[in-house]
Parts: sequence; structure tokens; C-alpha cells
Amino acid sequence: MSTRTNAAPPAGTVDARARRSRQGIAARPAGTASRRARRGRRDLKGYLYVLPAFALFAVFLGVPTLQTLQYSFYDWDGISQATSAGLSNYVGVVTDTALSSAFVHAAVLMIFYSAIPVVLALALTLIVSRAHALRGMSFFRTVLFLPQVIASVVVASIWVSIYSQNGLFNEILRAVGLGDLAKVWLGDYGTALIAIGFVGTWLNIGLCLVLFVSGVGNIQPELFEAARLDGAGPVREFFGITLPALRGQIAVALTLTVVSALKTFDLVYITTRGGPGDSTTVPAFEAYNRAFNQGQVGSAAAVAVVLTIVIIIVTALINLLQPKDVE
Amino acid sequence: MHSKMRKVPLLVGIAACLTIGLAACAPGGSTATSTASLGSVSKTVTKDKITLTEWDQNTDGGSDTAQKELNAAFEKKYPNITIKRVSQSFSDLKTTLKLALSGNTPPDVVQANQGYPDMGAFVKGGLLRPMDDYAKLYDWTSYYPSSLLKLNTFSSDGKTWQTGNLYGVSQTGELVGVYYNKAILDQLGVSAPKTIDDLTVDMAKAKAAGILPLNYGNLEKSPGIHLYGVVQAAVAGATAVDDLVTAKSGSWTDKDNVTAAATIQGWVDKGYINAGSSGISRDASLASFGKGGSAFYVDGTWQQQTLESDMGKTAVGFTTLTPVGASAPVTEGGEGLAWAITSKSKHADAAAAYIDFITNAKAAQTLLDTGNLPAVLPTGYSPTSGTLAADIADQYTEISKASTVVPYLDYTTSTFYDTLTSGMQNLVGGQATPEQFTQSLQTDYEAFTKDRG
Amino acid sequence: MKIGIGEKFVNYVILSIFALFAIIPLIGVLFSSVLPPAKNDGGFHVPTTFAFGNYAAAWTQGRFGTYMFSSILVTVSVVVLTVLLSVLAGFAFARLDFPGSNIIFFVLLAGLMLPAEAFIIPLYFNLRGAGLTNTYASLILPQTAQSLAFGVFWMRNQFRTFPSDVIEAARLDGASDLRLLWQIIVPPTTPSIMTMCVLVSMWTWNEFLTPLIMITDDSKRTAPLGLAFFQGAHLTSYSLLSAAGVIVALPIVILYFLLQKRFINGMVGGISSR
Repeated sequence: MSTRTNAAPPAGTVDARARRSRQGIAARPAGTASRRARRGRRDLKGYLYVLPAFALFAVFLGVPTLQTLQYSFYDWDGISQATSAGLSNYVGVVTDTALSSAFVHAAVLMIFYSAIPVVLALALTLIVSRAHALRGMSFFRTVLFLPQVIASVVVASIWVSIYSQNGLFNEILRAVGLGDLAKVWLGDYGTALIAIGFVGTWLNIGLCLVLFVSGVGNIQPELFEAARLDGAGPVREFFGITLPALRGQIAVALTLTVVSALKTFDLVYITTRGGPGDSTTVPAFEAYNRAFNQGQVGSAAAVAVVLTIVIIIVTALINLLQPKDVE
Repeated sequence: MHSKMRKVPLLVGIAACLTIGLAACAPGGSTATSTASLGSVSKTVTKDKITLTEWDQNTDGGSDTAQKELNAAFEKKYPNITIKRVSQSFSDLKTTLKLALSGNTPPDVVQANQGYPDMGAFVKGGLLRPMDDYAKLYDWTSYYPSSLLKLNTFSSDGKTWQTGNLYGVSQTGELVGVYYNKAILDQLGVSAPKTIDDLTVDMAKAKAAGILPLNYGNLEKSPGIHLYGVVQAAVAGATAVDDLVTAKSGSWTDKDNVTAAATIQGWVDKGYINAGSSGISRDASLASFGKGGSAFYVDGTWQQQTLESDMGKTAVGFTTLTPVGASAPVTEGGEGLAWAITSKSKHADAAAAYIDFITNAKAAQTLLDTGNLPAVLPTGYSPTSGTLAADIADQYTEISKASTVVPYLDYTTSTFYDTLTSGMQNLVGGQATPEQFTQSLQTDYEAFTKDRG
Repeated sequence: MKIGIGEKFVNYVILSIFALFAIIPLIGVLFSSVLPPAKNDGGFHVPTTFAFGNYAAAWTQGRFGTYMFSSILVTVSVVVLTVLLSVLAGFAFARLDFPGSNIIFFVLLAGLMLPAEAFIIPLYFNLRGAGLTNTYASLILPQTAQSLAFGVFWMRNQFRTFPSDVIEAARLDGASDLRLLWQIIVPPTTPSIMTMCVLVSMWTWNEFLTPLIMITDDSKRTAPLGLAFFQGAHLTSYSLLSAAGVIVALPIVILYFLLQKRFINGMVGGISSR
């Protein structure tokens, strides 16, 4: 389910991460690396090393991104000549209910992709705070993380059958005597969006749990011992020590999950194509559908621009959570 | 890092130059139009070894078999030509065809959906080759009734449908109607419905007997077009619907159109239609009807072979509905997607020969043999009475003769497919009243007609 | 740290519940993929007989041989290109001093935040204009560009932590920058490069939107795209669909089981690795 961009934390965390990985993954004598390892001599050869990567990046990503901005000010069907549209495509994002509701749906998905997994995983972490030391934890980590590596198309087709009339979800309801509630979950206005959101919960809960449990493992045991000597109960311990220490992990978890919610496309494309009605349309799907099916390229570009801005703002906000005082 | 900040203006400068450079030229405008001379055409097909790529939507049982047989026969007749077939479901074809056609290596032959959303857009972009020259060469003009050919014509700017150049011919005839389970109808003591009221009464009886009246799966969204199309045709009649779809006169909010929507919602409210239809695929509901899961099923004649093989040739019937006061049944349909040649194809002569091969009278026999309805029924064709094939052929002949087939509703405007399919999910899901539903159609329709001037 | 028996028990129960939650849908699709098609109604059934023929049927009917070939070709190309270009650029950003390096680096880094929607629409029309749509290049080059934002960032961080005295010593011996990079710095960095490889492989293999837009030729479709179209045409063939799903997911899942630490560490950004 993961995509390229949600794999890395927001840009602002560079330094914090550089420091961490110095002590962590790069298991080399960290002390010998000077903080500014740059050499004094100015070396124009650097451009040669950077050029291939930068050129590819510019041609296939940088310039098209600027062009998206440009397209958003035009009316274009993708085939004939474009005409200037002023700001009308952006006005459409607000006034066209099909578009504005797509953004509302994305916000709902954020609850299921992000808020629920993070809160639930935190609550569980309170209980299993020392699970990182358990025998077999690596097995649990492997299993909990597994949904993250399955292709989203496969995930979508699995859940289509789970939500179907004879699917697992209804089988469970019938088994516990709630057969009256059984329905086609993706076909019902009241439940389709929630059903898609629940797939996000399924995807991300393991990710958050793995992150937090290993984060707790990083807290120095002396802190807990000192707290206990002070007579702190488990709740005070959690809010006094665990939660602050997990700020970095929480920020990463929020970034990964919120961005994945905002970018949802594959899941909607495979499961509902925005239906029933328009009840599960999301911005990424609208952008795709308008650009490549409905011949409204300008409007699609405006949706893409707004989506990009929303993602940047949200990641920047989450970034404020990042501890700035490591080291 | 802070010491580098003064270089930011430089970056902004570069970005600004780039943006201005880009803004100088509006996107688009480079597409070649196909108004250039087409060159002479010939029935003689090249002797070179070539590959013809064709895209179709014949994934349903009978049509898939027919296409395979026809392709094999064509390759046998022209051993130097290899047919590369790409077959995908209707909605997947709809999704990908626009991208494929506007690319640099489009297929040679494609099945294009008629009307403004697809064929109109393709013609506007100069992506399809006008085929009037081939129509003369292969005498399609006398083989097909003009009413069918007209559906495949467009003005060369793609703005006006049913006039101008011919952009394709169809392989199959199509009617959308009501399939019924004969055993269940016998059990209920009713005969095949002839009007919309008959159908409603029969469904009430089925419901009372504890049988699901109508299996309906609309996950793909396109079945919604057919359900509304059948009911609307039977309520409003041929002229009203035809005028509406072809933008001659009328409004989607006219009383009959609202009544049709209200009728469908009434069925839902009374439990005549299974719940959760927007999450059930068409195939799943078809399979359920095929297993005796319901009394009725609304779909097109393209399901003939699948239902024959599921239920047997005589256990299932097909009927169309007659509006009050009309002399012949009226229903949605016409012909299958048009087989068209792309303007970038380098093998137009071979492509035309192929299209003729899979649509001509000989192909019609292959289609019949595999449980399909050809666009033009061979003279003297008379299937065993009492079979599904006979029902379908009879209705097709009668409706063709009376000219009471109405076009598929999604042809109406370039965005009507999405508007109508979403609208139908809303209507059936109880999210929109019949008035709101028809108003959403009318809004789309008005915007489109205004746009065209 | 000693954990009491009661606490252990509670921990295992909670972890097991969530592990089950994660894995049951996946087990369901495995079961479904070996159920005889006639018995499969899309529900959760423990198979009593095993119809492994479903895999062969899905493979041939869905033409997954072709799709898997495309996926492998594209994935390997993207990974190789990304590694090459990221190592070169990462080295320059970490170890060479040239004017504007920070700005260029942050421009690249901005790519991490861009959703595909931000650039894919004009990219499609640009590539179409250049005659590149419907080619493997239209999958490989954009996806490499997308991976580079992460790759350059990742490699720069690895190279910055490389002990300076080793580099100094090599330079004193007269090693050129290129030799220094490939013979002194890269070999000990292989584990981090592997982490990048597995992540880029996963992203590329699982990518759906790019091939959906760029590829129209059936024979160039990637496995996930092939699955989506296979599903469109065989909505009710639950057994075949499940088998096809397993086929598409399997290569990355195997890679994951072999190198799971790298997946997890890489994806959560090295933070949980301490």
C-alpha cells in the first residue's frame, strides 16, 4: 500500500534523521564522523555527480509539477487546443460539490487511516509497553507489518470479497447472530466510505504498533525505574515518560498514514470507482478521472494542485510535533 | 544551512523563468487532424506480413467465443496477417480507449461506444478515420438499415451526432429488455409482462411468494443506464426519448421521465430489488438470476449465451415492454459498439477488410451459432420457437420494423455517462428523489447544449 | 528486564489478536485461491480439496506470464538506475563542496512530498508528445525520478556518517573521487543500499497509477495492472481472482520474508532501528 513519498518523513526532519541513523542503521564508529563532514575545498566536479539524478528528476518530476500549475489555469480536453480559464478551475474545486465532497471524503479517510490506528496503537502500547523484550516479538513484527508490503491492487481485491454478500464480514455477523446487519458494505451509501476507511485501519494499525513498541524499547529503563521510585502509576508513567519519548515515532506514524489517506487512489479505483453515487470519490480519483476519462484536464490539474498543497500543509503541521532537541 | 539562504532568490528566479516559459504556450494544439486526404481505398489487402491490433469488449461468454472464431477464420483467409486481440470489459475499455487512441501507437481497429462521451470526443480529436469510402467499397450502406448506420455518424468536428461521416459499423444488434425465469412465472401463474404495470404486478406476486423479483447488480455503474433506459422507454415512449437523447426537444425533468425514476424507486422501496446493488457486480447478479435467484433480470441481448448455458435454452425468456397506447414495444438498444479504424493506423485497407469480415452476413451466421444477435439478421433465420434465441430474434425484428428502439442514454452528452450512472446509484440507494435525479440529468444536459451553442 | 507471567500473557494475547487481524484476510485469499471454482462463492472457506490448477488457469487466462515479465523488467531497471544515480548524487551532496549544493538537494528533497497526482497529468501529455507513452521507458524513467528523491536523501545520510579518517587516508594515497566512492565507501555501505533496493523494488512492483495511465498495450502491462483488468473481466471467478492476486503479491512478499528487517527499518525511516 505504501508509495514512494509516504515512505520518508517530511523534509524538515532531515537533520533529526541524519543523527538517528548515524547511531542506528549505519553501525559504524559514529564518533569519528564530524558533524559537518564537508571538506574545505570547493569542488565543481560535484555538479557532474549530481547532474544525472537532477536531470532525470527535473524532466520527469520537476517540470511536470510546474506544468500542472500551468494546466490548472486552462480549459483543456487533452486533445484539441486549450483555452485560458483564469481561476475558474479553482473556483470549481470549491463550488462543484463532486470535487469538494471528494476532499471531505479524504478527511474522513484520515480518521480511519490515521487517527484510529495511531490512538489505538498508543493505547495498546500502554499495555504492551515492554513487549519489545518478548520472545517472539520479531515474529509479531513481521506479521503486523505484512499488509504494508502487499500490492494495493491485491489488497483491494481481497477486501472486495470480504465485503461482498457472502464474504467474511457478513459471515462473521451471521455467526454472532447479527445476520440482520449483513449487507454489501461497499454498495451502501452509509457504509461504503467507512468500509474503505477500515481497509486503511487494517493496513496501518500494524505499522503504528511496530513503530511505537520499538520506540518504547528505546527509552532508557532508568527513566521508568526513577519514576517508579517516585511512586508513579502506569498511567502517569505513560503520560510522563512514554508519550513524550514517542513524539518522534508519533510524528512519523502520522505523516505516513495521513499522506496515504490523502493519496488514496488504487483502493477506490478497484473497489468502487467512487460509487455508490459519488459517495466514495477522493481527490486523487477525481484528478485521474477528469484528466483521462472526462476530458477536463484543467479541472483535474486544479484538483492535483490543491491536493498537493493540502499534503504539504498537513505534513508541515505534523512536523511541528517532531522533537527538535535530540542530541 | 542558514548561510545558503541567500541563494534562494536565485532558485526562485530559475523557477519563475521556467514558469513564464511554460505559460507562453498553452497545452495542446499539436494533434494532427485527419482532415487530410485519405488516399484511395482498396479491397485488395497487402501481401506483406503485418499485425493488426484490435481492441474489443467481447468478454461475455458468447461474444468472446464468436470473436475468437472470427479472428481465427480471418487469419486463415489472410495468412500474412496476425490479429493481436486485446479484450477487456466495457468499463475497462471505456477507461483506457481514450488514452490508447491519443497515444502514438494506437490499435488499428477499436470498438468505440457511440454518442458524445466516446465517439464524439474521438472524432473531435481526429482520432478515428472516416469510413464512408469503405462503406461504399464494401456496400455497408445497403447491408445495414440507415437507422443503424446513423448512430455511427458524426460531423467531422465531433460536435453533432447522427450526421456527417461514418466512423464505424457494428457487429451485433442489441436490445435491452427483461429476462424472466419461466419456471418461476409458471409457479406465480403469470405470463411474461407486456407493460411496465404488468411487470410491477408480477414483481409484487413474486415478492409475496417469497421470491426475489429482480436481481440487480450495479457495481460497474453501467447497468444503471439500462435499468432506467428500459423503464423510461416503456413510460415515455420512443419519440420522447429519442428527441431527448438527440437534443431535439424535451427536458429530462418532463413528467414521464420523473415517473420512470419514481417507478424504479418504488420497486426498491417495496423490496422488489435486492439491497446493496451498488456493491454487487453485474456478473454476480446475472449468475444469481441464472441459478434461479430471482424472477426477472434486466439486461441486454448480449447475455443470451451466458443465460442459455446457465439455465438451458428454453427455461428463460426475453421480453420488451410496450408503452400505454403504443402499438409496438419500445426499448433501449440499437447496435453494439462500432468497429472503427484509428486515423493513425498504417493498415487501413487491411483493417477495413477485417471489419467487413467480422460484421458481414457470413459473420452473422457465426454470431448466431455462438448465441449472439447479429446487427442484421440473415433472411430466413428462424430459431426454434420457445427458445431464448427465438424470443430475442422476434423482439429484435418487431422493434426494428417499428423503429421503436431508442438510443442508449449515455450518448446524450460528453459527461452523461458519469452523471447518469452516479445518479442511478443515488436513486436506487435512496439518496436522491426522482425529482433530484432527473434534475441532475437536466443540469448536465443544459450545460452541454449551452456549451455547443 | 524481567517481565512477569501475567504481563507476558496479556502481551501475547493482544499481539496475537492484532496479528490475526492482519493475517486473516491474507489467509482468506490463500484459501480461496485453492478452492475448486465451483465451490467458491467469495466467502471464507477452509479448503478440503486443493485445486492448485487455479494457479495455472489464472496464469494462462490472465496472461500473467507477460505481465510478470514486464514487472520484473521495469522493477529491475528502476532499482539499478536509482542505485547508480543516488549513490553518485548522494556522494556529491555528502562529501563534495560545490556552490548551490544545498539548494539542489532541497529541490530534490521536495520530491518526497509530491503525490503522483502533482505531476502525472502533464507528464503523460509530455511523454505522449515525445512518442514515449506505451513504452517501458514511460514506466522506468518517471518511477526512477520518483525514487530518486528518497534515494539521494538516503544515500547522502549514509555517506555523511562515513568515517572521515578513512576517506582522508584514501585521498592521501591519491585515490580519485570515483575510485574512492566505488572502492572505499560503497562496499561497507552495501547494507544501506540493500535497504534502498528493497524499498524501491516494492514501490515499483506495486505501482498502479503510472502503468494505468502510461501503458495501453496489453503485452506491456505490469502485474498489478494486469490483475485489475483480469478482475474487470472475471468478477465472479473468485478462485481464479484469488490465485491471480497471490501471484501478483508473492514476489514482494517473498522478498519481505527474506529481508524483513530492511523493509521495516527502511519504511519507518530508520527510527525503529535503534
